[in-house]
Amino acid sequence: MANGTWKIARRGNTQLPLVIVLALAVALVLLGRAQANLFDRARTVIIDRLQPVLVVAHAPVTQFDRWIGSINELFAVYRENLQLKDENARLKQWHNVAVVMQDRVKRYQLLLHAVPDPDVHSVLSQVIGRANRPFLQTMILDAGAANSAKPGEAVVDARGMIGRVYLTGQHTSWVILLTDLNSRIPVTVAPGNHQAIMVGDNTAMPTLDTMSQTVTLHAGDQVVSSGDGGLLPPGLPIGTVVGQAGQYRVALLADGASAQDVEILAFRRPPEELPADVQNQLPAVAAGLKPAAPPPPAPADAPVLPAQAAAARGTSTKPAAPKVTKPAPDVTAAAQQAAPGTSETPADGADQDR
Amino acid sequence: MELSDRTGTLMSGRFLSALVPFLCGVLAVLFSNLPLSLTNGLVPAPLLALVPIYFWCLVRPDLMTPAAVFGIGLFQDIMAGGPPGVWTLSFVVTYAVIERQREAFAGLSGLGAVLGFATAALIASACAYATVALYYWHLPPIAPIVAELVVTVLFYIPGVYVVGVVHRRLVGPLRSDF
Repeated sequence: MANGTWKIARRGNTQLPLVIVLALAVALVLLGRAQANLFDRARTVIIDRLQPVLVVAHAPVTQFDRWIGSINELFAVYRENLQLKDENARLKQWHNVAVVMQDRVKRYQLLLHAVPDPDVHSVLSQVIGRANRPFLQTMILDAGAANSAKPGEAVVDARGMIGRVYLTGQHTSWVILLTDLNSRIPVTVAPGNHQAIMVGDNTAMPTLDTMSQTVTLHAGDQVVSSGDGGLLPPGLPIGTVVGQAGQYRVALLADGASAQDVEILAFRRPPEELPADVQNQLPAVAAGLKPAAPPPPAPADAPVLPAQAAAARGTSTKPAAPKVTKPAPDVTAAAQQAAPGTSETPADGADQDR
Repeated sequence: MELSDRTGTLMSGRFLSALVPFLCGVLAVLFSNLPLSLTNGLVPAPLLALVPIYFWCLVRPDLMTPAAVFGIGLFQDIMAGGPPGVWTLSFVVTYAVIERQREAFAGLSGLGAVLGFATAALIASACAYATVALYYWHLPPIAPIVAELVVTVLFYIPGVYVVGVVHRRLVGPLRSDF
């Protein structure tokens, strides 16, 4: 094909520039290793400019996807209808149970004066693009910094978590999917509240690295976000455990490939700060302990003990044992310790509210 | 006066003709990296930018210079995301191999030409895979890159037809010595 109709020009002397360009390419890779977000700004600017085009072009693509999908669905519509009716009946029962449990949890929280969960605001946005590259699985949303979307925030649909925002332009956001090679999410596996890290590897089911090697998980265990790090709200439904010991994977509830309307959860746990009236107090006082009483002044004629003499010289023969004062029981802290799962249950309730 | 006008036209024609292959590469990157998929992300986007690089490296290497390949690779890195520099390095390495074996590649025709391009795409994919493996220090799954390689080779035939038309209609008339 090549030499059939095309004229082949003579070979040029490109050896020297080629060597230079090769060296530059290697240097670029090394630079990228040191600064991974080297091109992020340029990419967001380009996609921001292309956003109107993407919105217009995405509509027929979505329509085409639906049309293709509907052909397959035609063959299974009757069977799926029966399954859905059955599932709907069971879900209604579970819904009633969940409402009762939610009320009960709220009552317990009131009784225990539990710290209320922070409000989770969300931004509803539409998927305007998807990129499925060998080393990057991402989607682009039509909400950006102008809509208060920030990097790190969780992206969910009605079924569960899809990924998190890793780059925001003015009017667009890039979402790194849970399946992506770069995705690492701290999760909790219930029952048992086992802590783990869910690691994407560009396959449909991310792997699960448990913190403890002795933990045994079971197929069907629920995987939710743990909230460690304070970026993601705890208790976001993610998926269920599949696989066997040593090769645990997570079957995700949400399907990033078909999601169209998603929510960006604006959750950021505020840093804990002391109340204003105790900021200038000593740590012990701020913690509710009595300040240690100053030692009574020694009478002038009292004999000086060797230890006191050494302390006066700036040395010590034996460290004095610290005086421990038993603190008054803290109702709130006790309640949190007694019910370690309470930080997740209300979030589940919040999910239901959403 | 007439001579200087002719010289100016010739120079601008040469400049434009040298720019066309690079612009074709940039357009190919833009087109293949538009975040739209007709298959819900099931089939990865092809490396369309490799088609103009391969074509002009064989036909007119003076128009597809290493610097132009570097620029196209850089744009691919910007648009594709992922570890920076991976596609720049892959395209430059592929260009270097094609350029060294140019006589052998240019002599292929028919199915052989497709296999020649498949070899170039394989080199680019293998280089990208190796770079990413070194980057993350573990082997990423091989299926996505194989899928991209297959799709790229499938898109070679329509791609090379378009590039051939551009070469005949745009690059040829702009160069008097063509």
